[in-house]
This record gives sequence, C-alpha cells and structure tokens, in this order.
Amino acid sequence: MAAPTAAAGARARVVALALAAVVGCGALAGCGGGSGADGTDGTGGRSGGQAAADTAARPHLRISGAFLPVPVTTGLAAGFCVVRNTGGADTLTSVTSDIADRVTLHRTRNGRMEMQDSFPVPAHGALDFSRGGNHLMFEQLTHKPKVGDTVTVRLHFRRSGTLTVKVPVRPATYNPGAGGAFGTPPDGAGSARTP
Amino acid sequence: MRKKTLPLAAALLTSAVLALSACGGGSGDESSKPVDVQADAHSGRRALTVLDPPFTKPDLVLTDTHGEKYDLRERTKGRPTLLYFGYTHCPDICPLTMSNIAVAKKQLPKAVQEKLRVVFVTTDPERDTPAALGSWLRQQDPEFIGLTGKFATIQHAARQLGISIDPPKKEKDGTVVSTHGTEVVAFSPKSDGGYLLYHEDATVDDYTKDLPKIVQGQRP
Repeated sequence: MAAPTAAAGARARVVALALAAVVGCGALAGCGGGSGADGTDGTGGRSGGQAAADTAARPHLRISGAFLPVPVTTGLAAGFCVVRNTGGADTLTSVTSDIADRVTLHRTRNGRMEMQDSFPVPAHGALDFSRGGNHLMFEQLTHKPKVGDTVTVRLHFRRSGTLTVKVPVRPATYNPGAGGAFGTPPDGAGSARTP
Repeated sequence: MRKKTLPLAAALLTSAVLALSACGGGSGDESSKPVDVQADAHSGRRALTVLDPPFTKPDLVLTDTHGEKYDLRERTKGRPTLLYFGYTHCPDICPLTMSNIAVAKKQLPKAVQEKLRVVFVTTDPERDTPAALGSWLRQQDPEFIGLTGKFATIQHAARQLGISIDPPKKEKDGTVVSTHGTEVVAFSPKSDGGYLLYHEDATVDDYTKDLPKIVQGQRP
C-alpha cells in the first residue's frame, strides 16, 4: 500500500490547494487514505505513550459515502456519511447546511434517537453515520430536494476546522449498509478530506 | 454487511419468547413447548425471522387518518397485512421502512396490491394526529393506513408482538423524542397470524422479493 498511499497524499495536497478542502465527485474515490507514519492500523492495543501521541498528532480526516435520502416532507431529513481518521483524535462539534435552518447530531439506541452535542472522531478510527445508527438530522428544510440534487453540508471539527461536502440526494430506500440493488457504493460523490 | 442483525435477531428472539410467555398463549400441550423462532436458515438471510407458532393479531381499535374508528382484526381479516409501529417526526428508519414497502408494493399486480393492507401505527399519538399522519403517509402511498389513539393502547398491542416502544419524552431543549419499533410484522391472509418479522435493515429488495409470497400467505 505504500506507493498508492504516497501518490494519494501528493494528489490530495494538490487538490487541497486548488479547491481548499472542497473535493468534488470521484477525485478521491477508492483512495487508501493515510500517509506514511500516520497510516498505522488503529485496531491493535495501544500503549499509554502511543495514546498520548494520538492526541498530539494532527487529525487526517476523510469523509466519504455521504448521502441524504429524499425526505418525505420539508419538515425533516436525515444525512449519512463516514468520517475516517488516519491521524490524531478530533471531535465533530456541529454541522450546518444551506438547505436547513438547523442540523443536529443524533445517535439511535433501541429505536430511540438521542441528540448529541458532539461526536468524537477517534485517532486512527472512524465516525460512522449510517441507517439505523448515528445520523445528522436536518430540520425545517428550505425546500424538498429531489433525487439527483446535491446539498451542501459543512462539518465543523474542533481541530480540523470545517470540511464541506457536496451530498447527493438518493432515493428514500437507499441503504448502502444493507447490500442489495441500492447497496452499490456511491459514485464518488459526497467526499471531502482535510488537506 | 448485515453484522448488525445478529444481536438484533437474538434480542428479538428473547423479546418474542418473553412476549409469548407473558401472554400465556397457546393451550394445553402447546404452552409447554418452547417457541420456535427461527431465522431463515435456508437462504441465510437475517433481515427476516419466521415465527412458528405465529403471533396472534392484536385486538386493536384505534382512529384512522380520516378520524374514523378502525378495528384492526375486523378490517384486515383474511388480508395479507404488514404492521409497523413508528412516528412521522422520525428522520431515518420510519420513512425508510415505509418507502421500502411502498416501492415493493408497486411492483405487485394491481389486483394483488388492492388486497394488501399496510398499517402504520403511530408511537407518538400526541403529535401524529389523524391529519398529520394522513399527509405524511400519502407521500409514501395513498393506500397506506395510519392509526393513532391512546399511547397505552398502542404500547400494549406492540408488546403482544414482542415490540418494545416507550412513550415520547420531552428533552431539556423542548424537543420531543419518540421511539419506533424495529420490526415489521407480516400477517398471513390464510391464518391471520403474524408469521414473519422483518428487521429494520430489511431492504427494498427483501420486500420486493417476498411480497408476492406474503400476499399468498406463503413463507418467502
């Protein structure tokens, strides 16, 4: 993975300079993420020293697979994405969007939503917003978006600042986590990353 | 892809067993038998649980979206019926579930579609008035039936199907948070028993594949 990772890193820097962290369709699709020293696997056990290093290290965030199922009414919509982190820990503190007056963060437990003030993005880990789990809730929409539209969403992180994602509007039945006809990975839309 | 369903299925199995033992169900020999709740081992699918023996259809009388009395047993007798407990201020699973069913239903022949009953019972009756429920459900499918009434009545019916829902709760910031069921129960037109449980990650493909069987009261 070393060669494609380095290439991806170089490409990301160029893209970041050109687009200031706003990355359009497909530019980074399939990117293995992570650069050299930070690309260690986060699944193993960690020593105290390493944990401290995680906190000190700069986060490297990559958002992918973002989508917004077409809502039933203008009252409410949900949004989903995955935030992968190949660097030090960060926190998602708020989300804003042109399409809604208010965007709130929720997790779901036993069929009940629980609003959260923030979500941790663990070092060398991921923050997952997916069907039936965590979700972004868009309230009082300015209009009802159609399938194929794109909604601009800004995710604000404590350390990494703001990442802007162009989120595609998908059919109401879209559920990539569950496989099936609608389970094919998105076409690269709905991605962004830190420089 | 369906890793989530394992604990879900296990939890469900437990709740189904509890629910059945709690209502004492069955007579004589039957009551001493363990409940045979089995995942569809044949196809390896876990979006679905086959219930044997099936759940008895709850004796539930509520108000429909026209403000009229609706007796579930009477109105769905001999009809293939899908029953779901949810609420309209729900951004994710409730609209997903109803959309999955709506899309799958449209793929049935017209005459068969007319036989099918899809019943959405609100878990948030205070906000989901007949009118509010009606306008939300019409966006999904104008034939869907929406029911509202006393929360205690709704909770009692859900419990008989092993579905646990809590009353809506007001948060510190004034927002109201409700619970939805995580399963859809399919009732057979032949026995009127609830013989299939679809879990919340059942996809539109699952429903599309299974509805032709369900309308006949067959096992998918």
